[in-house]
Amino acid sequence: MTEQLDRRADTTRLQILRAASHQFARKSYSLVNLDDILADAEVTKGAMYFHFRSKYALASAIIEHRGTVARASVDQLLAQKLSGLETLIDISYLVAVDDIGDETARAGLNLLESIGRTDGLQEHIHGQWVTAFAAIARKGIKDGDVIGDRDPQGIARLLVSMYLGLRQTSNLAEPERFLHDLEDLWVLMLRGFVNPDRIDYLEKFIKRRTMVALKRATPL
Amino acid sequence: MVRQARSEATRRKIITSAVELFNEIGYPATGLGDIIDRAEMTKGALYYHFDSKESLATAIIEEASAHLVAAFANITASSAPALENIIHGVFVVADLLSTDKIARSGTQLLRAFGEFNDAAALVYGGWVAEMTERTRQAIDEGDLRAELDPQAVAETIVGSMLGAELLANATTAGADVLARVARTWKVLLPAIVNQESLSYFDEFLARESLRHSDTPLTD
Repeated sequence: MTEQLDRRADTTRLQILRAASHQFARKSYSLVNLDDILADAEVTKGAMYFHFRSKYALASAIIEHRGTVARASVDQLLAQKLSGLETLIDISYLVAVDDIGDETARAGLNLLESIGRTDGLQEHIHGQWVTAFAAIARKGIKDGDVIGDRDPQGIARLLVSMYLGLRQTSNLAEPERFLHDLEDLWVLMLRGFVNPDRIDYLEKFIKRRTMVALKRATPL
Repeated sequence: MVRQARSEATRRKIITSAVELFNEIGYPATGLGDIIDRAEMTKGALYYHFDSKESLATAIIEEASAHLVAAFANITASSAPALENIIHGVFVVADLLSTDKIARSGTQLLRAFGEFNDAAALVYGGWVAEMTERTRQAIDEGDLRAELDPQAVAETIVGSMLGAELLANATTAGADVLARVARTWKVLLPAIVNQESLSYFDEFLARESLRHSDTPLTD
């Protein structure tokens, strides 16, 4: 009996998260109205408050939910056993394709920008990404792709900054432009930390990833 | 529940012991008695799970190929271009053959039983079918030449990789299988890859050795 109730509660919770992602993916935090989410999720106000005490609580839950999903897909990419730098490139395209076409991904990153400065949320999540990417960059050095004296932590920070900045300067609603902008930034960045004799191959690798991503990305 | 877990543990123990013995002294020289001794269990326990040495061999073949097929499928499930997945997937499988005892033993048994065991036709046929599908995709994506017959390419890839593995086993007990697979691809690529993609794939192939270095991706 309790199990059944739990399951129903879980479904309601997911329903609310989905409806909220739909809103937060398209509107800024302050413009999102809880009533719109309620109507969309087809749940009562009581049910909503049972799961999330405030708009802020709901927003942090989306960020957290997205984080879990993203970590799982990065783990999947790591299991592909490509080289370090190839893996980092693949991760960036994976994030971009999700950001372009997946509501939870878009909402999660939007919310991180708008409410991330409170409670050290942004610092915490960016820190997690930097740590994960630095470990992969370290493998890039061992592979001979990344120049030996470059700081893996610095490369990881550059990657995170590049992507977050790209969201501001490019346009996620235009996949073609967004993905080509991502490609351009990668090509520029390679000069900063990749061994010259590896650049030619990696540039081709990046261009091929743009082609694949173009086929997969469908805007919201 | 407990009983089922214990029974599974026994079965596992038998398979591991059999694989060890097959790898050490070969399938023909291994008797069921040797396996019972190695696994430290009774004749009854063995016969409860396997009614003959051949059924034990079939179980090893099935487990090994399921493991290898899953590893390959895991690579080709990625959204990367199909030819990249084919090449990289073959290396991941070859790597498993040199590190995973059951995978290695299963492949050898498969070869030994090739002519008189249904498992063989099923396993090889499965590989060719899967490879044909991926090849068709790589032709669509423009990396493989458009005029090629997907099934012929698939049979060539599967056949030459099996051959490379056989030679590695015969000459160095499998130690140089990755290097042989790399050399085989090097010869094969110019015959099937589009001119514009060839230099990229030469480099993609050359990088396989760093993809299989011991360094883990995260620490």
